[in-house]
Amino acid sequence: MPRKFTPYLFVLPLIAFIVVFTYIPILTSLNLSVREWDFLSPDKPFVGFENYRLLLDSHEFWNSLRVTAIFAFVSVPIRLVLALLIASFLVRETLSARILRGALFLPFVTSTVSIAVIFSWVFSTDYGMANALLRAIGGEKVPWLQDPAIALWVLILVNTWKQLGYDVIIYIAGLQAISNELYDAAAVDGGGRLHVFRRVTVPLVMPTTYFLLVISVIEAFQIFTIVNVMTHGGPAGATDMLVNMLYRTGFTLFDIGKGSALAVLLFAILITLAWIKARVIGRKVHYEA
Amino acid sequence: MKPDNPLVTGLALVAGLIFLSPALYSIWMSFQAADAFYAGKLKFTLDNYALAIGQYHFARYLLNSIIVSGLVTVIGITLSTMAAYAFARYEFPGGNFLFGAVIATLMIPSHISLIPNYLTLAKVDLLDTYAGLILPAISNGFAAFFLRQYIRGIPRALDEAAYMDGARPWQVLWRVIVPIAKPAILSMGLYVFITEWNNYIWPLVAVGKEDLYTLQIGLARLYRLNPGEGGIDWPLVMAASTITILPVLIGFVLIERHLVRGITMGAVK
Repeated sequence: MPRKFTPYLFVLPLIAFIVVFTYIPILTSLNLSVREWDFLSPDKPFVGFENYRLLLDSHEFWNSLRVTAIFAFVSVPIRLVLALLIASFLVRETLSARILRGALFLPFVTSTVSIAVIFSWVFSTDYGMANALLRAIGGEKVPWLQDPAIALWVLILVNTWKQLGYDVIIYIAGLQAISNELYDAAAVDGGGRLHVFRRVTVPLVMPTTYFLLVISVIEAFQIFTIVNVMTHGGPAGATDMLVNMLYRTGFTLFDIGKGSALAVLLFAILITLAWIKARVIGRKVHYEA
Repeated sequence: MKPDNPLVTGLALVAGLIFLSPALYSIWMSFQAADAFYAGKLKFTLDNYALAIGQYHFARYLLNSIIVSGLVTVIGITLSTMAAYAFARYEFPGGNFLFGAVIATLMIPSHISLIPNYLTLAKVDLLDTYAGLILPAISNGFAAFFLRQYIRGIPRALDEAAYMDGARPWQVLWRVIVPIAKPAILSMGLYVFITEWNNYIWPLVAVGKEDLYTLQIGLARLYRLNPGEGGIDWPLVMAASTITILPVLIGFVLIERHLVRGITMGAVK
């Protein structure tokens, strides 16, 4: 029979990795965020909340927060509405539904760097697919990634293209859990297709919607790869998301104190979002059988 | 599966192709000679691949990606399975607390550990090594959580029978639990592999030596640093991009069902 210390031996390796690479780093970030350091100098003088004050006083931080918030709160709802509509068509077990599910899901498992590179070509001014299509219908060339008013929307489009399939797959799983009897009952009551969708489907997949909403917003706040490859945060800071600013502050400018303060703020924002989710979900979502 | 109206199937196929057209076109482009491509002509060639693999070392990057993702998957899934087994089968002091600590990592944004992990690995001289790429990616709270749920669904009577026969706990795990949980372990393994394959920010900060670039880093650098004549050599970049996508694409086509099941189980349960 198992001895008393057996379970500890089984969990210890995983716990050790989590402690070293997740929990201690939180403390390290907190500590570094109240110091001034450039990676090299031998001492790290304590500066109190100076790094936070500098951040909160800077245009750079507020711009970055604004851009990230637009990215998250615009792209996620669009994606979820699209995904639910598509999922309600693709939930059937037919060959055509299967083909489309596969096509939609492929970008999700494709390398983000590849996707970013491919769409850098699609939206490149001189040789890109987007401008070729525009020219074909008689339009003018658009400098998609060089225009501060447009670049963020291009990134939203690219991220939607990448993530849509995941949302669809999750919605399909949610829809499959709704019993057919409910649909039959709604049909007997004489509801049209739209009516059934609004009155039966939408409320019943609410738990799935909340799940997707929360993880998508949290993921959107951490977007980095497509920004780093496609725009570097430019033009003129128009796509300078929080993690891109964090990367620049820490690993290009070597301002470890300010970078750590930014990491702590990002952490605080995401924990707050997660907390709101726990409150909202705890209260509203329990239609499940 | 119902085969439906051929017209509907045809339309679905067309819609799928349009959706994927940027990616499909990039693969097509990778087989075009650059000069012909810019002149608007067609000329098939494998030169872009030869160039990517030879002059730009993409064979090396491919090998690095396989080593790093492979080891992260094998070590990570092993540790997660061990922990999941203990959390599923034992009541022990501190067990709930430790499980809570594992679950909580799902809520913690990985970027808060970016600078600290860089410093930790610098201190033990592991930046610019395979170990430096692999170690911070090993622990996976989601895999541990998911596997624990799965193992709880396996009847305890099977464990008891094995104990009667004189098995030790690790034998029960290896001979009883792992074979039954194999589908879940494979789904999770695949998920971890793809996630690590596509990891970008950590290799970007942890590696400066070109010998250790993964495909993602190599591709991003090639795109940024290699202008062709009068601009970027798109066909070459697309050949490199195709090399980066292909292994995961092949894996996806082979085992789509496993992957989709793994991802949805985690979300809906």
